[in-house]
Amino acid sequence: MSDASQKSDSPGYGLMGLTAATVLVALGAIFIYVPTERTEGVVQRIMYFHVPSAWIAFFAFFVVFLCSILFLWKKEREWDIYAHASAEIGIVFCSLVLITGPLWAKPIWGVWWVWDARLTSTLVLWLIYVAYLMLRAQSEAGSIRAKYAAVIGIVGFLDIPLIHFSVLWWRTFHPDPKFITTQGIGTGNETSMNITLIVALGAFTLLYFLLMGLRVRLERMKDEIDRIKKERLYSH
Amino acid sequence: MDNLGYLFAVNVFVWGGIFMYVFSLIRRNHSLKKDLDLIKETLKKDSGNE
Repeated sequence: MSDASQKSDSPGYGLMGLTAATVLVALGAIFIYVPTERTEGVVQRIMYFHVPSAWIAFFAFFVVFLCSILFLWKKEREWDIYAHASAEIGIVFCSLVLITGPLWAKPIWGVWWVWDARLTSTLVLWLIYVAYLMLRAQSEAGSIRAKYAAVIGIVGFLDIPLIHFSVLWWRTFHPDPKFITTQGIGTGNETSMNITLIVALGAFTLLYFLLMGLRVRLERMKDEIDRIKKERLYSH
Repeated sequence: MDNLGYLFAVNVFVWGGIFMYVFSLIRRNHSLKKDLDLIKETLKKDSGNE
């Protein structure tokens, strides 16, 4: 009998400690180290939460995309577990993007929300993956559910290039990319701003892996309980 | 522009959201682990009685 609760993919104390330490360093950098931006003031510091949240949401949905392809190809439950776990985490961070964006916009633009290409396509992305999670929650567990979910997971990811290029293809309110530009990475920004953003990106990335470990472990335990129940049902 | 209070509130909101999710995962993990251990123990007792 395999013991799901003892599997090595559960996050260890090492990862927890490293994540907590990096988050503290990132908070120190955001509130103490980085200078206040001249035109936007302290509100600009919201970007050090907003941008890493967006990065994690996109990365999480990329993992969903990749694992969904692997699931359809190999038909192994493992890939479905990873896709499901990553979609849930992606939704959490995409929600943070959609909340921190308007919280930054109100003092800067004077409005919470505008229906421009970047904001609208991000909201569409959120809705696609909410639909993905609703499909998983509302239908019976099995390979059919996993197949439909994998198709949504793959198709939904196609919105991400649209989100990324929307600020370049159309005239939008959303600022152009400031960190990764055609001139290079971090070009034109103050070094301390680049360092703070990199540390915040690192902290959020570690947080993603920590959450993945916890979420995957949860799904494995559910599987094991289901398996035991089925075994008992058929043995009687 | 002095919006320190506003920035602090946003920060509390963001980290509050993240920690709520982390704690919900830890709580769900503990609860399922307890269920799984209970099932295994019951199975062990059952197989001992047979």
